[in-house]
Amino acid sequence: MRTRLGWTHGVFIAASLVLIFLSVRATGADFGETAQFFVRGSLGGPAAWTRTLKEFLPLLMLGTAVLVALRAGLFNIGADGQFTVGALGAAVVVLRLGGASGMLLGLAAGLAFGALWALPAGWIRAYRGGHEVISTIMLNNIARLLTLYLVKGPIKDPDQQGQTTATFPTSTSLPEITLPSGTLVTSGLVVGLLVVVGFWIWERRTVAGYELNLVGANPTAASVAGVSAKRVKLGAMLASGAVAGLAGAIFVLGHEHRFYANLSPGYGFDALGVAMLAVSGVPALVPAALAFAVISTGTASIQTLGVPRGLSGVILGLTLLGVAAVAGARKRIAHE
Amino acid sequence: MTVELHDITVRFGDVVALDGVSFVADQGKIHALVGENGAGKTTLMRVLYGAVVPDAGTIHVAGSRVSFRNSGEAIAAGIGMVSQHYSVIPELTCLENLILGAEPGWALHRGATIQRARELAAKMGYEFDWAASADRLGPAGSQKLEILKLLWRGSRTMILDEPTAMLSPADSEGLFQSLRSLADQGATVIVVTHRLPEVLQHCEQVTVLRGGKQVGAQPVKNLEAASLAELIVGQQVQARNHGSAIPGEPVLEVVGLRAKGYRGDWAVDGADLTLHEGEMVGLAGVDGNGQRELFHALVGTLPSEGTIRFRDEDWSGQGTARRIADGLRLVPEDRHEEGAVDSWSLVENSILGLQRCPGPARAAWLDRTQATAIAQRVTERFATRHGGLDYPISSLSGGNQQRFVAARALEMSPKLVLAFQPSRGLDIRGSEDVFAAIRSECRAGATALIASFDLDELLSQCDRVVVMSRGKIVAPPRGAEMDRSAIGKLMTEVE
Repeated sequence: MRTRLGWTHGVFIAASLVLIFLSVRATGADFGETAQFFVRGSLGGPAAWTRTLKEFLPLLMLGTAVLVALRAGLFNIGADGQFTVGALGAAVVVLRLGGASGMLLGLAAGLAFGALWALPAGWIRAYRGGHEVISTIMLNNIARLLTLYLVKGPIKDPDQQGQTTATFPTSTSLPEITLPSGTLVTSGLVVGLLVVVGFWIWERRTVAGYELNLVGANPTAASVAGVSAKRVKLGAMLASGAVAGLAGAIFVLGHEHRFYANLSPGYGFDALGVAMLAVSGVPALVPAALAFAVISTGTASIQTLGVPRGLSGVILGLTLLGVAAVAGARKRIAHE
Repeated sequence: MTVELHDITVRFGDVVALDGVSFVADQGKIHALVGENGAGKTTLMRVLYGAVVPDAGTIHVAGSRVSFRNSGEAIAAGIGMVSQHYSVIPELTCLENLILGAEPGWALHRGATIQRARELAAKMGYEFDWAASADRLGPAGSQKLEILKLLWRGSRTMILDEPTAMLSPADSEGLFQSLRSLADQGATVIVVTHRLPEVLQHCEQVTVLRGGKQVGAQPVKNLEAASLAELIVGQQVQARNHGSAIPGEPVLEVVGLRAKGYRGDWAVDGADLTLHEGEMVGLAGVDGNGQRELFHALVGTLPSEGTIRFRDEDWSGQGTARRIADGLRLVPEDRHEEGAVDSWSLVENSILGLQRCPGPARAAWLDRTQATAIAQRVTERFATRHGGLDYPISSLSGGNQQRFVAARALEMSPKLVLAFQPSRGLDIRGSEDVFAAIRSECRAGATALIASFDLDELLSQCDRVVVMSRGKIVAPPRGAEMDRSAIGKLMTEVE
C-alpha cells in the first residue's frame, strides 16, 4: 500500500500560490506589500483582531448550524435566511422590551425564529421528499425580501434615512469583554464557543448524537436499527435553524445594535465552506471559521492598495479546492 | 490462454495477505480457487486483474511475462473479472451496461450494437431485452450480463468471485453450464468459491489457499470432499450432533401477514407462522418468494397488514425501535446497506441497533466503555480478524464483516433472532460457528428464524424447516419435517 499524498498535491499547492500571486499582480499592486497589509489588517494588533473576531463569530456559529444538518445528510443552504430572521426576531423583542430580560428574550426569539424559518424545509424534506437545497434557497429569498419590506415600512425608524430600525436600547446589548491584549469581543463569542463545544460533546456522547450521524451516514441501516430518519432529519433542520437564528440575534445584540436591510454579507454561504472543512470533526470548525474570517478582514484591508475585495473569493475558493483534494487523497488512503 | 502466477507476495501495511503464492490455470478448463474467508483468494485474483500490484512475484499470460499496473492493462491482455457484488447499474439499460466503458467508437450505432449484443448472447444461449432497464434483472440475469460484459471486452481469462453467492441452485447450475461452454470454446475460467459441491461437480482443477499461503493445487478428479475440506480448514471437520430442541410456548405468532414488494405486488401474501421458545427454524425457499419482504415486515421496516404478536406484545402497531427493545435482533441480508456504516469504526458499528439498549445507553447518554466492551465481545465471539477496534469496518474482509454483524445480533440478550443468510460469504468453520452460536442462544430460551437459499445448510443446522413459496409459508407434512425431498417439492411447487 502506497500513500497517494505525493507530488500532485505539491503541484496543486504551488499552483494555488502562483494563482494568488498572479491575481494580486494583475491589479498592479506589489505582492510583498499586499501580503504585509493582509496580515497586519487581519492579525496585527488588537484592532485587527477585534475586526477578525467579529467576522469569526457568525462564521463559526453558522458553520456549526450547517454542520448539524450535514450530519443528518442535509445541505442547509438556508443558514443565511435563518440568521437574518433570527436577527429580526431579536430586534422586534428588544425594541419593545429593554433591559437584561429584553436581551435574554431577544436571544430566545432568535433561536425560535431561526428554527421556525428552517421548519418548512425540514418538514418538506422529511415528509414530502422535496429537496432541502431548493426549499432553503427559496426561504433565503423570502427572508431577504420580507425583512427588506419590514425595514422599509413597519419597523423602520422614521427618524433615519436608511432602511433600518431604531438603535436598540443600550441596556439590551450583550456585555463586551476586553481581552488582556486589548482586543474587544462580545460575550456572544462565549455563547458561540459553548454551542460548538456543546454540539461536539452531544454528538459524541449521546444516543441522539449517534443516531443523527447514523441517519446521515446510512439511512437504510438507521431504519433497520429502529431510528426514524424522518424525525431525525426534521429535528436536525430545526436545530440547525435555531443555531443560525441565535447567531443572528447575537450579531445584532452584540455588534450592530440595530437591524437593517441586507444584514448578512453572505455569512450563511461562507459557512457552507466552513462546515465542509470541518466534516472530519467539530473542533475543526474553529480554525476553519478563523481562516475564513482572516481572509475576509485581510482582503478588506488590502483594498487600500487598490486590490479588489473580490480577491477574497479567489483565495477562499483555492483554499477549499486544495483542502478537498488533500482530504480526498487521505480518504482514499484510509480506504485501501 | 494459460495464466500463471508465481511466488506472489502482497502486504497491506504489516499484514501479509499473500505469502509467496503460486497459481496456474490452464486454458479450456474451469479452475477453482478455494479457501477460508481471509485466506487471500480475492486478493490473489485482484493481482491477476491488475487491481493490486504485488510486492513480489511474477505473472505470465500465455507464456509471456506481464506486469499490470492497473486493471485497464489486464483487460487489454484479455483478463476479465466479475466481482462478488455485481457492477450492473440499474438506471441504465441492459445494452448501456454491456458497453459501458468499452463503447465501440465515439458514435453509437445502436442497431449494429444491439445486433452484436444479440449474437454474443445467442452464443451463450442467453436472451436479453437490450432496451429494457437493468433494474429488472434479478441476480441470475445480472450475473449473465456480467459474463457478457467480459465477452464484449474480449476477455479470454475470466475470473468470477463467488459467482453463486446470490444465485438459487437452479441458476447456479445454469451458470456452470455457461462456464463449461466458455471453457470448451477455449476460455480460461477461474471460479473463487467456498461451496465444495460446486468444485467437485464442475471444476477440473483446484487451488487451495490458507492464511495467505498456497497449501494445495491438484486435479479435482478422484478428490474427495472430506479431504478437500480438511485441506481448506487444516483440520478434520467434525460430524455434527447438536441434540434437538424441546420447543416451549409459542412466542411469535404471525397471522395473515401481507406486505408489498418494491414492484407493488403482494410479496408476502397471507403468511402464517408460529415460532416457539427455544426453536431454531429454517426458512427455505427459492429466492424471490417473499422471504426478504417477510423479514422486513417482521423488523418493522416494511408496512404490513395482518397480525404479528410477540410474547404478549402486539407488534403490528409498533415500530422497529420497540421491537428491538423487546429482544428482536437481525442479521440483515445486505450488511453494507442494512447492517453497518462502512466508514465507522468497529466500536461504533458494534452498537448499531443496540444504541438504545441499557448498557451501551445510560438514559440519553452513550457509554463508550460499554460500547468498547461490546465491540470486544463481538469480535471475539467468532474470532473476527481486525487491525484494531478503532479501524473502520470496511477494513475487514467480507467474511470478517459477516462474522461481526452476526455476532452483534447475539448481543444484549436476544429473544428473537432473524437471520438472513447468516453464513453468507463465510467458510465452513465460520458458518459452523455462527449456527452453533445461534443454536446455543436458542437453547437458552431465544427463538431464531433463519432464511437461506441453501437447503442443506438449513437441514443440517435447524430444528425444523418451513418453506416460503409465493408469499405464503408452508410446512412440510407431519413426519417429514426434515425430509429433503418433501421440502424440495414444496419449494419447487411440485404436488
